[in-house]
Amino acid sequence: MITRKELAKMIDHTELKASSGKKKIKKLCEDAVNFGFYSVCINSCHTKFASDILKNTNVEVCVVAGFPLGANKTEVKAAEAKKAVEDGAGEIDMVINNGLLREGDYEYVERDIRKVVEASYPAHVKVILENCYLTNEQIVKGCEISVSAGAKFVKTSTGFGAFGALPEHVKLMRETVGANIGVKAAGGIKNFKDTWRLIKAGANRIGASAGVSILEGLSLYKYAEDAWLEPEIPCHICPARHVSITSVPKSIFKYYKKRCSNCKYKNKYNKFYE
Amino acid sequence: MAGWMNKILKINLSNNEQEEIELTDSTRENFLGGRGVGVKLFTDLSSPNIKPFDAENPLIFMTGPLTGTVLTSGRFQVISRSPLTNTICDSSSGGLFGMRLKEAGFDGLIFVGKAKNPVYVNITDDSVEIRDATNIWGKNTHETRDIIAQEVNPKASITCIGQAGENKVLFAALMNDKDRATGRGGLGAVMGSKNLKALVAYGTKKTSIAYPEELKNFKSFLNRLVKKNPVTGKLLPALGTSVLVDTINKHGMFPTKNFQKGVFNDAEGISGQKISENILKKQSACYKCPIACGRSTETDNKKGEGPEYETVWAFGAQLGISDLKAVTEANYICNEMGIDTISAGNTIGCAMELSEKGLFPDNIRWGDADRLVELVKKIGLRKGVGKELSLGAKRLAKKYGKPQLAMEVKGLELPAYDPRGAQGLALAYATSNRGGCHMRAYMIGPEILGQPVNLNRFSTAGKARIVSLFQDISAFVDSTILCRFLQFAIGIDNFAKIVNLVTGSNLTGDDAVKIGTRIYNLERKFNVEAGFKRDDDILPERFLNDKLKTGSSRNRVVELDKMLNEYYELRGWDNEGKPTAETLAKLNLS
Repeated sequence: MITRKELAKMIDHTELKASSGKKKIKKLCEDAVNFGFYSVCINSCHTKFASDILKNTNVEVCVVAGFPLGANKTEVKAAEAKKAVEDGAGEIDMVINNGLLREGDYEYVERDIRKVVEASYPAHVKVILENCYLTNEQIVKGCEISVSAGAKFVKTSTGFGAFGALPEHVKLMRETVGANIGVKAAGGIKNFKDTWRLIKAGANRIGASAGVSILEGLSLYKYAEDAWLEPEIPCHICPARHVSITSVPKSIFKYYKKRCSNCKYKNKYNKFYE
Repeated sequence: MAGWMNKILKINLSNNEQEEIELTDSTRENFLGGRGVGVKLFTDLSSPNIKPFDAENPLIFMTGPLTGTVLTSGRFQVISRSPLTNTICDSSSGGLFGMRLKEAGFDGLIFVGKAKNPVYVNITDDSVEIRDATNIWGKNTHETRDIIAQEVNPKASITCIGQAGENKVLFAALMNDKDRATGRGGLGAVMGSKNLKALVAYGTKKTSIAYPEELKNFKSFLNRLVKKNPVTGKLLPALGTSVLVDTINKHGMFPTKNFQKGVFNDAEGISGQKISENILKKQSACYKCPIACGRSTETDNKKGEGPEYETVWAFGAQLGISDLKAVTEANYICNEMGIDTISAGNTIGCAMELSEKGLFPDNIRWGDADRLVELVKKIGLRKGVGKELSLGAKRLAKKYGKPQLAMEVKGLELPAYDPRGAQGLALAYATSNRGGCHMRAYMIGPEILGQPVNLNRFSTAGKARIVSLFQDISAFVDSTILCRFLQFAIGIDNFAKIVNLVTGSNLTGDDAVKIGTRIYNLERKFNVEAGFKRDDDILPERFLNDKLKTGSSRNRVVELDKMLNEYYELRGWDNEGKPTAETLAKLNLS
């Protein structure tokens, strides 16, 4: 079982709400130091403020770019990333141009990422795919493009989409990028069980605002590891359970509905047929 | 030893003799304090032959090593044999009384015997004075508090019984400070049986702390854990415990009309939101509590504390009532008369179902908000229909030939969660040492709220292990004594660390769990010797056979037997639920 220290070092302690001001960012930074998190993950306007607080600590500053939609012009994303690095960011979490990836404009998407990677040097870049709007095939393509464009990590979600990180997607991303590229799971991760399932699926970085609760949950786990990890009803952690016609593009809804109709759990638990 | 006043006093109310009980290091190491030490003292001083209302039945008030030191540490624990269940029983309360008792120089007080006339006990710096209470016998808890405060010290903290305890209502509560209740199991009636009206505590002593500087720093860390947890940092402060109304109703396990349904269509009328909009005056908090889940409220006629979630259920959905004013005023009456709201509402619901089936002499109808306050008052006074209701659901249903309509375990009325919607909770109800209780192992946390870790509520797999773990951890926390809500946010390793910083001990999380296991087994041992066995670890037939028809727990029943076998095996108990000699030896309980 993982130690508390090791787990903390896998967590990007996150605060990306529109309503968060300096007070919250200050607390976030203090918590990150006290709890031993890898980084704080913040919006770019707070970069300098957080970097100053975290100077002389082991906590990195991770800044999002083109967040949360990823639909900004490439130059804007790159400029945002460049400025963040100048202000002290050690990592950049950029959002992929999800719409153009879905349409298959891979050339644009790769160029978009490459420009941000170049602008961010020497900081590492993680590419947020926003998996909830993608088919598995598109996730694979998104990962391949990201790696080819120089990203060091691929990341599941912004936390602002229809759903966040799920083990199936993390596993797929890990299989695609291999052992040398990072996989960050983020979005909707609320406790240790969620976290552990994602780590087991292949994530080596966790983005969460619930990092403090996640760490405390670990102390319970060691007493009943098997019992906590009892398999879920498969549908509970299937992406299909989290989609609805109003929350994702129609094509994605249809994609999961079709998948459900062929699923071996169809008659037992299946979301669309229960 | 730091954390302790090193003084537990045994008082014989029959002859006013006082005797200091020495607490050995081994007792402290094995049972910690609070519930654990209380249970140990109780089992040393009592025996299964002593009945709850016998003068010899000890009534024990305990603080813990953390009392008065860190967040939520004003609590105290009361331990005795319950007249409602006949099991060993402990019940705890927040507020200030625990801290004041310790400031007066006492870790605990043990009462045996029975006073000839009503008395109250005044506890100040190292001294205990027994005073006549004839003039306050018959008064409600608020009047009692006001009279004694004036007689003794307005700053003192007072724990007392109301008319329900005096009249030995089997689910009478003790009330302290601002309407805080030691609610479950009828320990107020035990107090009444001893002619003991109240305890008054005030003092100037401070608890010694082994590592004060480190503790100060650690307190900020603990506060951050509490603030960052979604339940303790957001939900409870925002709407109080009644925040659960919507959640539990949506999960189809909000017991309605004596657990016949799991969805209450009028739940909105008694929700946390409605309380905030209509009757809330301000939030209130126990000693050093950053959560502040309490609710000071006001209706047209009265003001007071609450209702809490369990109460809005007991006087609301359980009775088919959505009139928040009636629910709130019935709650106020319970505070004044010293009545456990869960048992009261559950029992009235049982009577309503009997009445609906034409089996009960009084026509009590579902949804009859107009009669609610009257019924509660009659329970407290044991008058008219209240005399029968004051016996609790089990005895009531049995008397009218339908024992299966009593929603209880071991005689303790079940609280506000239908176990068909959460298998682990069902096992926790069945195996609780004090009867049908949600607090021995609060499985609603993992099974419904996803805190501290989420579990699939409909699965039985692994639940025996988790329930026993939660029971043990809870027994440890009840022995520290801190508020159990902290368990959402603070892990067992950090609970052990607080104890270490206060007492100078060297506990690990593993040690803490083992202390909890020992306490749970000692309680079980007492119950087994008192005649409890596997047949008593059972739920009402309704949960085992009747599927819920609506809501998101529809078509579910409890699969108890499978979990129970696994639970006994994990616990090291035999097939009848009796701890084996080997298990007891391993825990130093032989």
